[in-house]
Amino acid sequence: MTRDITVGQFLPGHSLLHRLDPRTKIVLTFVFIIQVFISRSALSLCFLIFVLGFLITCSHVPARKVFRAVRPMIPVIVFTALINIFYVDGDPVFHYSFIRITDKGLFVGFTLLVRLTALIAGCSLITYTTSLNALAAGLEQLLAPLKRFHFPVNELSMTLSITLRFLPTIAEEFDRIIDAQKARGADFSNGNLIKKIHAYFPIILPLFMSSFRRAFELTNAIECRCYQGGNGRTKMNVLRLSRLDVQAIVFFCAAFGLSIAFNLFFPSFF
Amino acid sequence: MAIIELRTISFRYGAGTPFEKQALQNISLSVDRGDFIGIIGHTGSGKSTLIRHFNGLLRPDSGQVLVNNEDIWKNPRQIRSVRFQIGLVFQYPETQIFEDTVAQDIAYGPKNMGLDQETINQRVLEALHFVGLDDSYLDRNPFRMSGGEMRRVAIAGVMAMKPAVLVLDEPTAGLDPEGRRNLLKHLEQYRRKTNTAIIMVSHSMEDIAEHVQRVLVLDKGKTAFEGSVPSVFAHADELMQLGLDVPQMTKVLLGLKAKGYSVDTSAVTMDQAEHELLRLFERKDHE
Repeated sequence: MTRDITVGQFLPGHSLLHRLDPRTKIVLTFVFIIQVFISRSALSLCFLIFVLGFLITCSHVPARKVFRAVRPMIPVIVFTALINIFYVDGDPVFHYSFIRITDKGLFVGFTLLVRLTALIAGCSLITYTTSLNALAAGLEQLLAPLKRFHFPVNELSMTLSITLRFLPTIAEEFDRIIDAQKARGADFSNGNLIKKIHAYFPIILPLFMSSFRRAFELTNAIECRCYQGGNGRTKMNVLRLSRLDVQAIVFFCAAFGLSIAFNLFFPSFF
Repeated sequence: MAIIELRTISFRYGAGTPFEKQALQNISLSVDRGDFIGIIGHTGSGKSTLIRHFNGLLRPDSGQVLVNNEDIWKNPRQIRSVRFQIGLVFQYPETQIFEDTVAQDIAYGPKNMGLDQETINQRVLEALHFVGLDDSYLDRNPFRMSGGEMRRVAIAGVMAMKPAVLVLDEPTAGLDPEGRRNLLKHLEQYRRKTNTAIIMVSHSMEDIAEHVQRVLVLDKGKTAFEGSVPSVFAHADELMQLGLDVPQMTKVLLGLKAKGYSVDTSAVTMDQAEHELLRLFERKDHE
């Protein structure tokens, strides 16, 4: 009850993207990532931005939020773009001792900036529009065929869903212990790095203790219910593909094809 | 003079998100030295949110929290010093213990205050005695102690800061009746000896009736009732509607009254009720 706990960044809603089957969203996210990587020409990049804009509109997630997800990655993106500006060969537009900037370098650097931003913004959409439980269920279904190869899909999904289930609990516990130690005068903001790390011992140790205790209790509870593996277990909420999913898949395939076409027929000037 | 005063504080969780929730609305409370105040309310009524405002763990959206007549948020950088004056003991405080020995864990608060070692040692001993543990506990490992003992060590850890107000969130939750009585007895003695004000959140109406002078009843973040124990428990029907209860004894007396006996239903503890019932029987004998 300390504060509202949102693990991940799921924003509940009923937009087109929210209503898609999580399996569709996982697969299409991969399609989108590939599309980002193959968009190399100026025209296909413009098209990519258009697709991203369309997806954001469909998701009803405020654009501000989507780009907030990009913010922590800005240093990495800028660094990657800068490196490329300096290291790609072409006609120099600027030359001073060992620094050489080429026209092609500038273009590659700029496209990287756009592509990486689009990549992260696009991937953030799935986490904004899909609850963690839905994601876990979708992943389990997608991995189900691996059961033939004796891959422990059920155990994996059980572990995954327990982890997801307890993340909010542990986050709550974390908040509670922080508050409790703050009430005893704990200070996390002053002092040097060593002191700051030291200040977190009184939080981390109790957190570990209670996590272990909870794990033991859970193990007992699971054993008392004679749980074993997943053979023959059914789901309460069965995932079903709808017409919307088919439409989304068609849309993404078309967008993917267009990107390839733009690359082939309107290649870049460089 | 009030030692801590809440002036019409309101608080919302997650302002500006879809999860926004009004947690507190216009709560006022004034606490003097040596007061024993109870806070009751249904789960989710805002009790835990409220007590986090006493020592500045949460900042109210509107309204003021005054400690010694000064707004604690006047200088947010100094908020830590407020936490030494208003001691806060959370629910299941034994889960916050982290040191190897009882003495070290109790010393955590005083150490954060920047006291010298001698004063710390003295305060640790004092606090240990307040919760009814003897010197032999000092070097024991708290993780090998019983839940009740750990709870007392955790409470001692807050008492060692010598706060002017001690706030406890359900200090007796999960204790057996013996541990419960014991803890409350020691809290009462501590209050008398040090004149510290105690604010206690509890679900046990008996504990409230037995120990507390004034009660604040919360419902959906608002003050439902506030006043002396008998005056609050006089609203038995309304309290039941809020999902709360009244002490067993109050129920007995209310039942008698409903059957037409003239009893004073303001008796809330066993002793008072006994007195009241004896009076009733005596009167019967005379008739």
